Amino acid sequence: MSTNPMHQFEVYRVGPEINISGINLSFTNASFFMLISSLLILLMLFLGTKKKLLIPTKMQLMTEMSYTFVAKMINDTAGSNAKPFFPFIFTLFMFVLFCNMVGMLPYSFTVTSHIIVTFILASLVFVGVTIIGFIKHGIKYLELFVPKGVPVVLLPLIVIIEIISYLSRPVSLSVRLFANMMAGHTMLKVFGGFVISLGLLGGWLPLGFSVALIGLEILVAFLQAYVFAILTCIYLNDALNLHH
Amino acid sequence: MKNLREISTRLEIAKKKIKPSLNKNKGTNAASLGNALKISTELVAAVLVGSLFGFILDSWFDTKPFMIICFFFVGVAAGIQNVIRSAKKMNKNIEN
Repeated sequence: MSTNPMHQFEVYRVGPEINISGINLSFTNASFFMLISSLLILLMLFLGTKKKLLIPTKMQLMTEMSYTFVAKMINDTAGSNAKPFFPFIFTLFMFVLFCNMVGMLPYSFTVTSHIIVTFILASLVFVGVTIIGFIKHGIKYLELFVPKGVPVVLLPLIVIIEIISYLSRPVSLSVRLFANMMAGHTMLKVFGGFVISLGLLGGWLPLGFSVALIGLEILVAFLQAYVFAILTCIYLNDALNLHH
Repeated sequence: MKNLREISTRLEIAKKKIKPSLNKNKGTNAASLGNALKISTELVAAVLVGSLFGFILDSWFDTKPFMIICFFFVGVAAGIQNVIRSAKKMNKNIEN
């Protein structure tokens, strides 16, 4: 039994090694759990929309609630202009949510606790939003870096600050998700280790903590998916409507 | 159609049981917790990006410690600005 709390984040190869021109493209446990999460989303949406009843079953209710939740979120934060981007944000939200939730099951692997995964997701959002902004406003999109009513002397400094603050968006988006997931899972493992090492006499206290922490972690798993999606909406709003 | 009518009366009874204040409070709690988690990383991320910017400029122009020091502080400024901006956004949301 491994007592190392970081052992759970190890990525290893599942199946044969695939090497294409020096790049290791083998199927790992991370890819396996991403696949499981995607399949679970597809299964839920498929089962939920199979029978379209007026009085919904629990499955249909869950599907409809996730749809209205994301639709309302987009409408509230990014306005009706952002309606065409609903499929992207819905996919993003459901993927992050299911990766987090699948990671809560015992013996599973949390894909979002690796910064490379969250950073790729965040840079996808960042690059996409920047391209949308330039398509929508052309070169005027650069006005985002020049706030109104700033004295000319301060302008170079302000522009640099604005650019850094713009570039920090994908970093803050990815670090937040990664750090929350990794810290939570490490903490759970550490408390689990306490239960074993304190034994039958003193192990009950950390066991209680573990139970409480699992509840907290499920809340965090949902909340991080929500924050990820809502920040995507906010960035989209900046790109579409261009004023802050 | 009898089934539908039954459902609607049951819904109305269930709606009456939910206290309006409780329902409202729950929504804002989740949102504010999300905001709290959001704001803390915003500061750190800008400092990181600023320092990285300085580090890259340093290795380009061979001015080893200067750029990274300057851009560290610029990053801090950007981070504080990020936090102020999201705090303002939160204020606006509360007022509305």
